[in-house]
Amino acid sequence: MMPVSSDCQNLKEDNVTQSFCGLACVGWLYQKIKDSFFLVLGTHTCAHFLQNALGMMIFAKPRFGVALIEEMDLAREEPKLEQIIAEIRRDHNPSVIFLLSSCTPEVMKVDFKGLAHSLSSEETPVLFVPASGLVFNFTQAEDSVLQALVPYCPEAPAGDKKVVFVGSVNDMTADDMRAEAEQLGIPVGGFLPESRFDRLPAVGPDTVLAPIQPYLSRVCSRLSRERGAQVLTSLFPFGPDGTRAFWEDLAAMFGKTVDLADREKAAWQKIGEQTALLRGKKIFLTADTMMELPLARFLKHAGADVVECSSAYINKKFHARELEALDGVRVVEQPNFHRQLEEVKRTRPDMIVTSLMTANPFVGNGFVVKWSMEFTLMSIHSWSGVFTLANLFVAPLLRRKSLPEFDDSVWLEGVMPSSK
Amino acid sequence: MRLAFWLYEGTALHGVSRVTNSMKGVHTVYHAPQGDDYITATYTMLERTPDFPKLSISVVRGQDLARGTSRLPGTVKQVDEHYNPELIVVAPSCSTALLQEDLAQMARSSGVADEKIMVYAVNPFRVSENEAAEGLFTELVKRYAADCPKTEKPSVNLLGFTSLGFHLRANLTSLRRMLATLGVEVNVTAPWGAGVSDLKRLPAAWINIAPYREIGCNAAAYLKETFGMPSVTEAPIGVLATTRWLKAIIEEINRIAAERGVPPIAMPEMRKFSLDGQSAPSGVPWFARTADMESFSNKRAFVFGDATQVVGVVKFLKAELGMKIIGAGTYLASQADWVRSQLQGYLPGELMVTDKFQEVAQFIEDEMPELVCGTQMERHSCRKLDAPCMVISPPTHIENHLLGYYPFFGFDGADVIADRVYTSAKLGLEKHLIDFFGDAGLEYEEPETATVSSNGTAGAHGEEAVSSPAAAGAAAPSASGEMGWTDEAEKMLNKVPFFVRKKVRKNTENFAREIGEPLISADVFRKAKEHLGG
Repeated sequence: MMPVSSDCQNLKEDNVTQSFCGLACVGWLYQKIKDSFFLVLGTHTCAHFLQNALGMMIFAKPRFGVALIEEMDLAREEPKLEQIIAEIRRDHNPSVIFLLSSCTPEVMKVDFKGLAHSLSSEETPVLFVPASGLVFNFTQAEDSVLQALVPYCPEAPAGDKKVVFVGSVNDMTADDMRAEAEQLGIPVGGFLPESRFDRLPAVGPDTVLAPIQPYLSRVCSRLSRERGAQVLTSLFPFGPDGTRAFWEDLAAMFGKTVDLADREKAAWQKIGEQTALLRGKKIFLTADTMMELPLARFLKHAGADVVECSSAYINKKFHARELEALDGVRVVEQPNFHRQLEEVKRTRPDMIVTSLMTANPFVGNGFVVKWSMEFTLMSIHSWSGVFTLANLFVAPLLRRKSLPEFDDSVWLEGVMPSSK
Repeated sequence: MRLAFWLYEGTALHGVSRVTNSMKGVHTVYHAPQGDDYITATYTMLERTPDFPKLSISVVRGQDLARGTSRLPGTVKQVDEHYNPELIVVAPSCSTALLQEDLAQMARSSGVADEKIMVYAVNPFRVSENEAAEGLFTELVKRYAADCPKTEKPSVNLLGFTSLGFHLRANLTSLRRMLATLGVEVNVTAPWGAGVSDLKRLPAAWINIAPYREIGCNAAAYLKETFGMPSVTEAPIGVLATTRWLKAIIEEINRIAAERGVPPIAMPEMRKFSLDGQSAPSGVPWFARTADMESFSNKRAFVFGDATQVVGVVKFLKAELGMKIIGAGTYLASQADWVRSQLQGYLPGELMVTDKFQEVAQFIEDEMPELVCGTQMERHSCRKLDAPCMVISPPTHIENHLLGYYPFFGFDGADVIADRVYTSAKLGLEKHLIDFFGDAGLEYEEPETATVSSNGTAGAHGEEAVSSPAAAGAAAPSASGEMGWTDEAEKMLNKVPFFVRKKVRKNTENFAREIGEPLISADVFRKAKEHLGG
């Protein structure tokens, strides 16, 4: 393996940024794990975040909720959750309850592990998931959820050599990846997580863990430590380049030499129109979902000029191959948004990949924008995701081209009192 | 501690940022963990702010707490350097409030001039969105409002207009149109669009207009106390209230005009207030008196929301559209007394005061009003219950930030509300036709209803029993799984107009339970119809 890019290119700043906290993972995980309930021990802020920023509307029986810490609860030694757990069991009968921490109870030093343990029962385990914004950004708490599931993954016996894909994807993507692996002669042990708590994959010393999301380093190293599983080190399966490397490297761990060069070439050809548009375009990624490294790497290989790739958290080991592939690109961990703003104004990128909070203001400042959260909600994995992935980047460019040019006095002036 | 799924009111931090996001040259720094500035997304995505909200987070990490380091001074300094605001409001979040740090001291150590910094630290466990917004706005007015000469011409301040307010921009337009027609100038609108210099010259206006009970009233009270400025605080919702509002403004202006020895203003011709300049100012009085609108008289309406909107809408529905109010409620417990006093004589029973949407949904399900006026959550609940609903109150939703002109205030607002009542509830000739002919010509509505209920989301009392194979002619369980209906009774039920069918099903089942019938036969159904008055 090549040495990781030099430090002068990889900067670390002070994390004055605009993104969500770990509780955001509830948004997709409660839908993924269908027999679960996600209970946040938190405040009005947590509840308001879930309902507003994630736009999560309440259905007849929502499978997530907030055990609301109110003023009188602050004086209590330990939060009393028995009644709430009973209510959840009665109304939802979940196979598992995830108990998510948030900032306030962490400041109060609530003993979450003890709490989860005391609330657990044989039929409904309550699993502690560290998720607070004091530690975790956006997608990162999925890592905590998966770690909470580790004790419930059966032990795979030695010699049972199978791949377990790590990361939540929708069922269609999971089926695609399973089929792809089987075609390559790689036996599939399952996915972590599966769509039900009672169907978790077995993991053992001969399991190969293939992370398919770039924000799950801790659960991989934990399974490697506790069960002796091996972790695939490759590119993440996004784009023709990443997908080829991912499958070739995975096959190699099963002793198979696979050459997917033609497949990669065909995939690039399939998105030839898109890459023609991306070629030479200056693209800036501000940091949000922690999918930035593989996305920037795909853009770079598609011929784009990545001006800056920022990400909230970079793990030099887990992301080694992506960092290596990004050689020559300015990579920033925990960026400072004010500095980025200056940088953007100076470099005038053709497109900015950025958070929900900053997307429209960048448009208002004259830039073309892709909101990064969409990458967490679309099927962009492996070969079947290549087209979607390329289109996600191309759509904003095409759309802006298709709309008429107006001067500021027609389209922007006076839209808000706070605008200049 | 309780299990919460959805809350009407936002947090204190939300209230603070609504005020500062409204203003020019004011920047909020949140001393908070990652993600507590999620609220920024509501400004950029709902209001579609084309500039960056004036709000930065000074991220508190767990490791900072462990090491006892604070990034706040650094962030305050950065914000000052990058944006050069006139004022930086520093606020803690719920978790950092527990740390009981000296934020003022920390902010001061940034080296930024003292007079540019304001620490606004309310107890987020006690104070919610509206109270925090009202509190901060009042503080800002106290901090900056200064003695200055009155404007030459009659003028007003418009207070309490705040980012993410309900139909805010359209309401402002409506009020500005009426004031222009009166010949009264707007001195300052605040906090929406105001800078520090605008707050300073608030006392130059002759009077203050503060139509929102939630935000702006305390500032108006302070300005009255300190600068002797009279204020008009009624919300001009409906033709009656708008007329009173105009008269109150004229009266206050003329009192000052007399003191100053300048000519008084007079109520212009009413048609001057209309959009085309040649009609009655609102279509509502005529509309409400047209023959087919007689059916308004018995329409049972339920109203739920914040304080301002609930009071205004209840009065409008009852007094101006002649509807029957079967109940009203608010999620703002601190305003409940005021709402009760305003609605004396308007409500048949107690005012409902709750911040639990489930309780509101339960009331709607039990009463099945013919019109529900509520928040986005009631709209959502009503969709499940198939009850007609219109949204009249914050918290705002993307559908309350449309591009067109849909005010709730003023004469124009009265027209908008009446239109929404009309299109939400089933009224007039259409109703008679449906009542008389049953489903004739409206069968196309059926499949949709059936699909909704058969996927189970609609919950109880769906239409499933109708479509389920009750082949043996035996009683099929209803969707609620509680009560069986014979085929014959089902056929009879199908002749009931589709939009009341669920209600009839439910009432019939309740009746059957009362008289101890386990099964709804044609006979039981007939008895129920008789008992329930057809």
